[in-house]
Amino acid sequence: MSNKQQHPNLLSQGVFIFVYLAVLTALEFFVAVTFNSVAILVAVAVVKGALVLWYYMHVNKLSEGDESSHESYAYKSGTNRLGLWLFLVSDSFVFGGLMVMRLSLLGMTRPDLSQTLGFFVTAVLLISSFFMNRGEVELHNGNRQGFLRNTMITFVLGLFFLLGVIIVEWHAVPAIAEPILHLFGEPEGKPLLTASSGPAGAAFFMMTGMHAFHVLTGLILLVIVWINGKKGLYDEKQYPVEAAAVYWHFIDLVWIFFYPALYLIGTAV
Amino acid sequence: MKNNTLGRAFLFLVIAGAIGYGLGLGIDFAIRGGLKFTASVPSAFALLFGFTAFFFGLYGYRGITRGLVFQVVGTIIGAALVTGIRALLKREIISPFLFTEPAWVFGALVGVVSFFFGVGVMTDWVKWARGIDTPDHHEDEPGWQKYFGVSLDHKVIGIQYTVTALFLLAVGGTFALIFRTELAASGLDFLTLDLDVFNQNGPQLYNTLMSLHGMIMIVSILLGISGIMNYVVPLLVGAHDMAFPRMNAFAFWVAVPASVLLLLALLLGGFDTGWTGYPPLSSRAPLGVQMFFLGVFTAGWSSILGALNVIATVVRMRAKGMTAMRMPILVWASVATSIIALTATQLIGLSFQLVMFQRLFGMGFFDPSKGGNPVLFQHLFWFYSHPAVYVFVLPGLGVISELLPVFVRKPLFGYRWVAMSSLGIALVGFVVWAHHMFTSGMNEYLRVPFMYSTMLVAVPTGVKFFSWVATMWGGKIETPTPMLFVLGSIVVFLLGGVTGPPNAMVALDLHLHDTYWVVGHFHDTIFGGFVFPFFAAIYYWFPKATGRKMNEFWGKVHFWLMTPSFFALTLGMMFIGLRGMRRRIVDYDPTLGFDGAHLFLTVCAFLIAISILIFFINFFRSIKHGEPATGNAWNSRSPEWQVPSPMPAHNYEVPFEVVGEPYDYGLPGSKFVEFAAKKAGTH
Repeated sequence: MSNKQQHPNLLSQGVFIFVYLAVLTALEFFVAVTFNSVAILVAVAVVKGALVLWYYMHVNKLSEGDESSHESYAYKSGTNRLGLWLFLVSDSFVFGGLMVMRLSLLGMTRPDLSQTLGFFVTAVLLISSFFMNRGEVELHNGNRQGFLRNTMITFVLGLFFLLGVIIVEWHAVPAIAEPILHLFGEPEGKPLLTASSGPAGAAFFMMTGMHAFHVLTGLILLVIVWINGKKGLYDEKQYPVEAAAVYWHFIDLVWIFFYPALYLIGTAV
Repeated sequence: MKNNTLGRAFLFLVIAGAIGYGLGLGIDFAIRGGLKFTASVPSAFALLFGFTAFFFGLYGYRGITRGLVFQVVGTIIGAALVTGIRALLKREIISPFLFTEPAWVFGALVGVVSFFFGVGVMTDWVKWARGIDTPDHHEDEPGWQKYFGVSLDHKVIGIQYTVTALFLLAVGGTFALIFRTELAASGLDFLTLDLDVFNQNGPQLYNTLMSLHGMIMIVSILLGISGIMNYVVPLLVGAHDMAFPRMNAFAFWVAVPASVLLLLALLLGGFDTGWTGYPPLSSRAPLGVQMFFLGVFTAGWSSILGALNVIATVVRMRAKGMTAMRMPILVWASVATSIIALTATQLIGLSFQLVMFQRLFGMGFFDPSKGGNPVLFQHLFWFYSHPAVYVFVLPGLGVISELLPVFVRKPLFGYRWVAMSSLGIALVGFVVWAHHMFTSGMNEYLRVPFMYSTMLVAVPTGVKFFSWVATMWGGKIETPTPMLFVLGSIVVFLLGGVTGPPNAMVALDLHLHDTYWVVGHFHDTIFGGFVFPFFAAIYYWFPKATGRKMNEFWGKVHFWLMTPSFFALTLGMMFIGLRGMRRRIVDYDPTLGFDGAHLFLTVCAFLIAISILIFFINFFRSIKHGEPATGNAWNSRSPEWQVPSPMPAHNYEVPFEVVGEPYDYGLPGSKFVEFAAKKAGTH
């Protein structure tokens, strides 16, 4: 199962991809706050999405697999992998529909939100994806402790993202949200974006809400694989960890497109 | 099934229904301070209690009974929770429907999730999450009882799907008979303004029944095609089961709470939007529309997960030698239909969710006064709901191509073209949705592209017709009941097909839109593409499932009663539609002179209902008393008929290998499949 040869390779590949993604995210932010070219923002998001799809979600694994016996674990994992990807395809139609809704209602305007705060939560999710990838590689290399440590970090960052969105961005707990929003440069007394205030609020709450629901389910999956991983259930049969990781990266992938749609493109209203 | 068991079940139904009714009446009395025997709350309680008790009498406290109990309790707990929170916030906590709308919605959601745990379809998944391994297969109990609990066997699930589909077909059909009777003469005849049933007056009840007829039939069709695909696809590709047996069971059991929610929509105030649920009407409709949205949303998951399973099964579990171009046509059709169901279904779920949130939280997606856009809903909605009709008909068209060569003893003409035409219809189907919106006020430049893309659908559909006609040409046609229904579907679907392009033409559609012409056209396509092939499939594979044939004589009576009545019905609909009869309305102007035509249509509808009743009796009688047919009942080459009926629990004892083309009937020395150990091949 484990291949010590790959150890440094896959881990350092994860680091490189993370650096690319971080640079692109910074570039995206820079473009947005300076000359705001939609074409460049879309192009950057597509490149980031492709990097995540290929290197973190390893979509290419769909075409490989042991064809010799239909009863082998490898073959069954291949079937499960296909099932998961079909589900993700189905799920992406929800997010695609939300994107259509946003473009139709808001066009080239965006909700009036703190762009630096958006950049910050995006960074948190991106870093969590990096650790998720690291955890999966560590398990593949036979290092259970490394897998558990990295999955735990992923979970904490994911929870941080979720709470950040709900408490601060949604203003669920004003006592916490006010000082943080102030810290990120939001002026005092600015009218709050609410779900019922207009198309911008409706689109923002619906999109972040649907995404947050997926983050929540992803966190539950992480807890499950962490507990079972601690028992050593995945030392040989590793597919469940791969599934949780791919799902987690999918959440990141969705955010790669939602982030510019909600925080970067066009002018704030 | 022993008769006294069934008798006990009905006794329980009556008793528990009465108890629920009395309880509801008491609650209703407390709310409104007066007795009203036709109010929503007593009816809803009677339905839920009666239903649950029926299955308790039949089957005991397990499986579906436990699921329903959990659903009822979960709904009440969820609704009570929201009500409690609202009480703390000093909001309104009581409504004529007992709970307020947010409480009902949350309660219904909790109820659906509770159902899954109650019925036991989550048990294995929960174990996996806790790190406990489970065996690949569970042994089912023998006899009829396995159909009322969770089974992982695709054949059991296929039959569960089919029987649920038939049940909903009967419910939706009954609704149609009620409002068809109202239409038999102009004026408000019995659905009058002073009627007050389920918090609705007569015309409102008409609207509810008309809307629910649409959606309950759609859910019935989705379950029906899932029934065919579940039962037949693994047998055709030589798999021992579907790729994900637990998800398969889950996909079926999702449909049960969904059906309960759809029935609740009728009782909880109903709704007047039609099955399309367009805002702004649906954002103002009574509470029933929320139950309708939730029911459809839940049923959608059945469709999505079932489709996922079919694709994975076909991709990963085909028998040795079954290359893409040797797959039976029904398998191709199932994959094509599943591609649509897997992806597009999300959009109807999303569009209904957005209206739900608009109602609950005041989010203005489709509310122009809040910067929303009602036409956006129509785009999201039709992105699924047009391809949905291809979801309905593609498996049926696959059944036609599958059965036709068996009964004409000739190879299927143009196999490759037919296989590709299913995919072609599915893919073109994704870019035609706006032809439903020519009159909606959408951007005018969209009209012509959508007109042409719509007419493009006629090309792959035409390929199928050429293939069917050429297959029959010069064949030795036998006409047992399944073949009668196959021939019927070809003719009926042709009628539905040729009445389609006129609707696609923008200039004509502006006049035809919302008339009975469209109703006639639509019923032709669905009867030709689903109902007739569905019956054909049931008559054809009935011996495979039970080891007995359905009665030929009554099968033929069913066919010869239903087909002419149906032709008369839809041709009549199109006739009055062209002369200006509007659809979806409870009453019409007597001076239009449609009274006689409507009476005629109503008679036809009742004749169809009688034929279906004959089918039901035949169906249930033949399970026990049908003529035994344990061998190759139709002299077919298909692998499932090379083994004895009823099909053994894990399908093929020895795997088969595909060694030839599937439909080479009448070619000497040709073989489709060869079994490994036994040398018995096909003829």
